[in-house]
Amino acid sequence: MTDSSKKQEKQEDRRKFIVTSTIGASAACALFPFASGIPSVLDPATRDKGNSEVPWTKIAKLSSLPEDGTPTKFEVILAKVRDAWTTYTDIPAGAVYLARKGEEVVAFNLKCPHLGCAIDYRKNSNDYFCPCHNSTFALDGAVTTENSPSPRGMDTMDTKVENGEVWIRFQQFVPNIKEKVPV
Amino acid sequence: MMKGIMDWIDDRSGIRGLVKEALYEKVPGGARWRYVWGSCLTFVFFTQVVTGTLLWMFYSPSTQTAWESVYFLEYQVAGGWFLRGVHHYMAQAMIVLLVLHLMQVVIDGAYKAPRELNFWFGILMLGVTLALSLTGYLLPWDQKGYWATAVATNLMAEVPLIGPIIQKVVVGGVEYGHHTLTRFFALHAGILPASLIGLVVVHIYLFRKHGIHVKEPRPKKDSYFWPDQILKDAVACLAVLLAVVTLTIYFHGAPLGPPADPSNEFPARPEWYFLFLFQLLKYVPAFWGAVIIPVFLVVWMFLQPFIGKSKVGHRINVGFWWALIAGSVFLTFLAVSEDQANIKHGAAIEEAKWQADRVIEIANAEGIPPLGAVSLLRADPKNQGRRLFAAHCASCHRYNGHDGRGYPVDDPQSAADLAGFASTAWVTELLNYDHYVSDKYFGGTKFKDGTMARKVLAKYTEEENKLLPEIARLLADEANLPYEEKLEEEKRDELLALFYNDDLDFEDGRACIDCHDIDSEDEGSAPDLTGYGSREWLIAFIENPEDSRFYGKKNDRMPCYGRDDKLKPEEIEILVDWIRASPATP
Ligand code: FES
Repeated sequence: MTDSSKKQEKQEDRRKFIVTSTIGASAACALFPFASGIPSVLDPATRDKGNSEVPWTKIAKLSSLPEDGTPTKFEVILAKVRDAWTTYTDIPAGAVYLARKGEEVVAFNLKCPHLGCAIDYRKNSNDYFCPCHNSTFALDGAVTTENSPSPRGMDTMDTKVENGEVWIRFQQFVPNIKEKVPV
Repeated sequence: MMKGIMDWIDDRSGIRGLVKEALYEKVPGGARWRYVWGSCLTFVFFTQVVTGTLLWMFYSPSTQTAWESVYFLEYQVAGGWFLRGVHHYMAQAMIVLLVLHLMQVVIDGAYKAPRELNFWFGILMLGVTLALSLTGYLLPWDQKGYWATAVATNLMAEVPLIGPIIQKVVVGGVEYGHHTLTRFFALHAGILPASLIGLVVVHIYLFRKHGIHVKEPRPKKDSYFWPDQILKDAVACLAVLLAVVTLTIYFHGAPLGPPADPSNEFPARPEWYFLFLFQLLKYVPAFWGAVIIPVFLVVWMFLQPFIGKSKVGHRINVGFWWALIAGSVFLTFLAVSEDQANIKHGAAIEEAKWQADRVIEIANAEGIPPLGAVSLLRADPKNQGRRLFAAHCASCHRYNGHDGRGYPVDDPQSAADLAGFASTAWVTELLNYDHYVSDKYFGGTKFKDGTMARKVLAKYTEEENKLLPEIARLLADEANLPYEEKLEEEKRDELLALFYNDDLDFEDGRACIDCHDIDSEDEGSAPDLTGYGSREWLIAFIENPEDSRFYGKKNDRMPCYGRDDKLKPEEIEILVDWIRASPATP
């Protein structure tokens, strides 16, 4: 190898080194501002909300429910709702049907499991009916027609009766799937 | 394939030529470190635009949500403190780099013909950047930003004729409120950055038109922007980035003071790079500081390219900038050292820190009501207790030697220090004659010469003195303080017997029971000590110390806060709870 080709090779190496480090350093500078915000922007997706307890909410007096089990509609007023930094108190969050079964109570979410319309209780036929796409439900919440638009029965929630007051754990569920999954 | 796509794009856009032109700009005399500042500033501004836009996703400009949303980002959102910290410290880096860039341009003479126009654009950009800093300082809506920006907007009113109108337009009204924030936000995130982008484009275009101004002598032979100069630029940018990340991590993000509260005074101080202006206003009238001096400086700067035509003129220009920098540094130094020497300023900073920690503690625990975080602090008994004490008690009493919040008090102390009131340690000291007549207890009152001092405490024999700490334990037990342990039933009976002087341990006339009562019916001539220092006792005492249960007619200047409606019942309760909550700190 001649001296000049060696020199040329050395220069070639030097240039390569300069080019790669320039690209590397520039890329780092260009990407850094975006990278610095990634955890924050993705925060809602990575936040683990699932295992937080659903709180109990007082809905009505047991004595206000008809003894024969006829469903009655009630507003659900949550004592505390958090939206980002704000804590709201006494916020209307939805509605439920409560039906009495002796000393026990069942609670159904007013929202149709199909696509979320408000379900009616029909006095005449003594069943539930969703006026949006005509799903019908029995008094126990089960789907009553074969080709029901709603893939599952009405959504129930935990209930308890304490000192004559009915408490429920108010929850919403993912619509239009077979299983009842909390959102 | 890739090449095919690139060819297609190039064919329609001519992008290759553009990139080539951009990268193969000639650098006469070779790449040099002194040319990196412009690129660094572009990088910093780019970072600010990106991080600022990301911050936008979290910020909510209104008086009830600005502080709250920043708090939420800082303390609840993953990595929020880092994002905000980078934006905060980059802003400071930008100011430093601007000064460096400017000084390089001035010293190298790069402001002279034919580059006058570009120099002027640079000055304009400096102004826009300072405006960005000023508007950004207010957005978190914390005490610091609120009070400091109020000073800045009041200065705007100094502009002749249109000043008051400018002020109203910027503030969005007469008072600070929702529209101040929406306007400052629109300026900070919209108008100002957009103007800066426009100015940067023109600045870079003009720079390219005239090429680099070469500082002679040339160290090397000519080279190109790519890759030699870009490498130097990128390394410098990395260094800036590293410094900013270090600061962000070291301070764990940007500071966030307590939420803005117009009724809660806070010493207004601008960001550090404006401190020289702040200090200047201590010596010159506002009109000079806000109008005459800035206008003079700006006019002077615009004339500099012409002044610099001669050698002497250039020297004058360089000297002008050095003098300006030296003056600013000196004024900044004065501002900082004056604040450091000011005890009250230190106390105000400590108090703000306490409030910030406290409100964040509450917000973390229970969230923030729709009325905003200020309402949290106002409703907080711990904070209210300090403030009530400072406002109503501290002109006579002290708390650990200060006014309850940490501020020194100007008035001489004329009543007892109530930190650790009714605790074993406090009562033990009280029952010692020397302490009793000291300023810390009753030295400032007429009780210093009262029966208790002269005829009782001063007369106790050594044997009797030894029993006093026991009496103190009994009294402290009556107080039922949250931080002290209750006595056993038996022990209490034993101490009560001592109080009643059952075994005649005290000389007649010097036994406690001779004047004070505990648990008995007779009315002694001195305050009833049943439940002494307890919540009920202290509330009743503050309501009416002139009641026969307490000092009666012997009361010395202590106002009857309840009887005379000087404090509301719930305020007295808050005050009592606060006084009783914690022991004295040594
Ligand atoms: S929403 Fe109820 S049936 Fe479709």
